[in-house]
Amino acid sequence: MKRQSLFLLCAGIGAGAVTLALSRRQPAPPANRIPARRDLSNTPQHSSGTVRAARRLNRAAGLLATSVLADSGVEHYRGSFKNRAMFTPLIVSGATLAISAHGTADMRPAAHRVRDVTYALAAVTGLVGTGFHFYNVGRKLGGFSWQNLFYGAPLGAPMAILLSGLIGFSSERLRESQPDEQQGPEIFDLPAGRMLAAVISVGLLGTTAEAALLHFRGAYHNPAMYLPVTLPPIGALLMAQVCVGTRTRHVAARNWMWLLVAMGFAGSGFHAYGISRNMGGFANWSQNILAGPPLPAPPSFSGLALAGLACIDLVREHPDA
Amino acid sequence: MAFDDPLDRPRAAGGRAPDVFRRGGWVPMREYRDSEPVDFVIVGTGAGAGTLACRLAEQGFSVVALDAGAYFRPLEDFASDESEQTKLYWTDDRIVDGDNPLQMGSNNSGKAVGGSTVHFAMVSLRFRPEWFKSRTLLGYGADWPIDWREMWHYYAEVEDALKISGPVTYPWGTKRPRYPYRAHPLNAAARVLAKGCEAMGISWTETPLATLSAPRGLAHPCVYRGFCVTGCSTNAKQSVLVTWLPRALASGAEVRDLAMVGRIDTGSDGLATGVHYHRAGQWRFQRARNVVVAGYAIETPRLLLNSANDQFPDGIANSSGLVGKNLMVQSNQAVWGTMEDEVRSYKGPPSLAITEHWNYDDDKDFFGGYAYMSQGPLPQLWANTQLGAHGLWGEQLMTAMKDYNHVAGLKIVGETMPQERNCVTLADEVDQYGLRIPRITFSLCDNDKKLIDHSLSFMGQALSAAGARNIWAQEDDTCHLNGTARMGDDPRRSVVDADCRSWDIPNLWICDGSVFPTVGGVNPSLTIQAIACRTADRIHQMARRGELERLPAARPRRVLTPSA
Ligand SMILES: Cc1cc2nc3c(=O)[nH]c(=O)nc-3n(C[C@H](O)[C@H](O)[C@H](O)COP(=O)(O)OP(=O)(O)OC[C@H]3O[C@@H](n4cnc5c(N)ncnc54)[C@H](O)[C@@H]3O)c2cc1C
Ligand code: SF4
Repeated sequence: MKRQSLFLLCAGIGAGAVTLALSRRQPAPPANRIPARRDLSNTPQHSSGTVRAARRLNRAAGLLATSVLADSGVEHYRGSFKNRAMFTPLIVSGATLAISAHGTADMRPAAHRVRDVTYALAAVTGLVGTGFHFYNVGRKLGGFSWQNLFYGAPLGAPMAILLSGLIGFSSERLRESQPDEQQGPEIFDLPAGRMLAAVISVGLLGTTAEAALLHFRGAYHNPAMYLPVTLPPIGALLMAQVCVGTRTRHVAARNWMWLLVAMGFAGSGFHAYGISRNMGGFANWSQNILAGPPLPAPPSFSGLALAGLACIDLVREHPDA
Repeated sequence: MAFDDPLDRPRAAGGRAPDVFRRGGWVPMREYRDSEPVDFVIVGTGAGAGTLACRLAEQGFSVVALDAGAYFRPLEDFASDESEQTKLYWTDDRIVDGDNPLQMGSNNSGKAVGGSTVHFAMVSLRFRPEWFKSRTLLGYGADWPIDWREMWHYYAEVEDALKISGPVTYPWGTKRPRYPYRAHPLNAAARVLAKGCEAMGISWTETPLATLSAPRGLAHPCVYRGFCVTGCSTNAKQSVLVTWLPRALASGAEVRDLAMVGRIDTGSDGLATGVHYHRAGQWRFQRARNVVVAGYAIETPRLLLNSANDQFPDGIANSSGLVGKNLMVQSNQAVWGTMEDEVRSYKGPPSLAITEHWNYDDDKDFFGGYAYMSQGPLPQLWANTQLGAHGLWGEQLMTAMKDYNHVAGLKIVGETMPQERNCVTLADEVDQYGLRIPRITFSLCDNDKKLIDHSLSFMGQALSAAGARNIWAQEDDTCHLNGTARMGDDPRRSVVDADCRSWDIPNLWICDGSVFPTVGGVNPSLTIQAIACRTADRIHQMARRGELERLPAARPRRVLTPSA
């Protein structure tokens, strides 16, 4: 029974990821497309490019949520859900995934109450989860020792759902912002694109720190383990440039974000290989998925990078954003 | 097809040896004829022998290593069953006496290709630097003829060869390089040790272990099932069987399993000429230019004594009279208690946490030091411990075993002093091969007893501070065997020199736990392997300079020629 539920969880996660990946390819309906740079009669002052960016952010938030759902599902299952609170990230990330799918499909240039609340909840969950994980590590014998950092609750993990929430929340703000001639879309009175760029830059650095810690635990036994600790910081730098830089096409940042999207998914492949190197290989998947490197963790880089791409588009279309 | 029993018929034969990483697999093996004098014939394939065989073969020497034990395939031959795995122990007849007769077998000697490391507990520690000069610096025992800085270099080589998993920083002693792999997660038993140490105000750390915390080649990472001392079936344990020996085979060494060496021959020039060994039902003679003995501290002196001849009537390499003398075990006493919460101490490698505090603190009223570690006895061993210590049986034993999941223990590896009265001699009885069996005489000295008392009292307090109840001391255990062919600077007071070369017979070498002048308070295998690596390098240098009997420098060699 337990194995079955784990299998269902994995299958669900796979389906979620595929849906999201496919939705990337779906062309936007023509109604929205044709007047891309003109006002729609019933949505005064709103660029459909903004909606497109918002939807891409929904998608990115969704991918991050998928990663969290799968990762916390597996890890908290491994922890036998000792504490009821350990179900929270599953529920919240599941909901975040659902509303992100909804947001990705939604062309309307207005924020959605349920999505708003859910994203806010996700962000808060990330913060509270981080607090929980710090508490869990700190109270262990030896406190914040390497032993506890390696094997206690991963300090950085809940940040992913925080980032998902932040990105999704920004997406909603973007939809409802009313850019005028002088100003691009705003989030809390700040230029939306630049603020997002900052969030993504910091998010990439945080996620790198997490990968660095856990790959150090694995003693970088495979040279490929250096990739997620070298490529994303460069991406973070490029996003920082997007945040503060001048008006350009950000070609390098764009390409780099695509590289990170690919790296994230490739990371899951590498982790699958890592899992297969445990006793019994894939045939013993039900144990080895828990023992090996976390299969769903690397795509959180892809999620952030997708958000980065949306953000770059936004800045490109609204140079002041 | 007949059942392939590794104890019944040699597996390493016909130009191939078992591939320990692949079920049913084989690796090619070079073979030498008995009549063909090989550069080195090595007795044993354990910590000393296997390491040396690998390093010598990699230098281009022709090497044949003989082991009385079987060539196991860990992935297939090892069961999670204590009784089945007794096949790994050296249980041939031996006579024990002295004030504290040693219990021989599971806890101190192995018989398998890979030696005792096939079922060792993987604790991989460095000596404290001062111990290499314990007579001069600390006032007891004997000085080693080797400088600790040189050993530091070889320790690092072995730690890397075995991908030791250890703490990021080591709390005691001189700086050492970072361990190649990170430490394993602590189990509850290890946390009991940690809690006790914190309460007593001393440092503790994760034990450096020769088991993988991440994958390595075809070896799987540790699965924490805790059957380590009965043989590891995942190859996570970095025993000689899965580390040095595959390298040795790949470099052209030959390994002969189920090959018991009974005697070393010497020629009229007083040099060794080869070894008589028993394999597949018959006695054979392998000719060799050099003979290395590495059968561990009982079998090594036994073989040297059994090889006595007209020229060397007291046994070969024995002009000092010290072959077999100065046998040192390590004290292995424990305190046990029960915890309120479940501990399940058998989960994971048995000694995940350690304190070496009393190895580095000299404020004691005895010589030497000890480390102590967390424990994880398997059920049969635990039942035996209960039986031995408390005489429990039947209903009482059953009741006691119900607490098994709550038991936590701390156990020392303690230094004993070298004493000439502790020795290996030959008894008149013979074994299955017709060879005289060893008589092992051992008595603790006052210093040893003081050390044990100190440790039991300290660990008792620590265990109690960690919250254990019903604490009791197990006072009689020992582990590890060393010292019966000590190395030194003076031919009158040692059997071999710093290069493990016999003073009397320059083409005879001893390279195992026997050569230790003192044992220190840490498990010995890392030091044995480091010495073997050093010996290999020294042989390389001496061969280049033409300083080896029967190995002329001009002889072309794969590795030696370019630089020679
Ligand atoms: C249960 C247990 C746990 C241990 N735990 C640790 C630990 O955690 N850390 C640590 O450092 N050490 C540990 N040790 C000790 C360590 O295994 C030994 O010190 C080390 O292996 C000794 O190396 P050696 O080369 O001297 O002999 P061995 O490794 O014992 O090798 C000797 C080999 O020679 C063979 N042999 C002997 N005589 C003959 C002959 N006449 N002909 C042919 N073959 C012969 C034997 O079959 C054997 O295979 C442990 C030992 C045991 C038994
Ligand atoms: S606990 Fe680890 S080292 Fe010990 S037997 Fe199991 S896999 Fe091997």
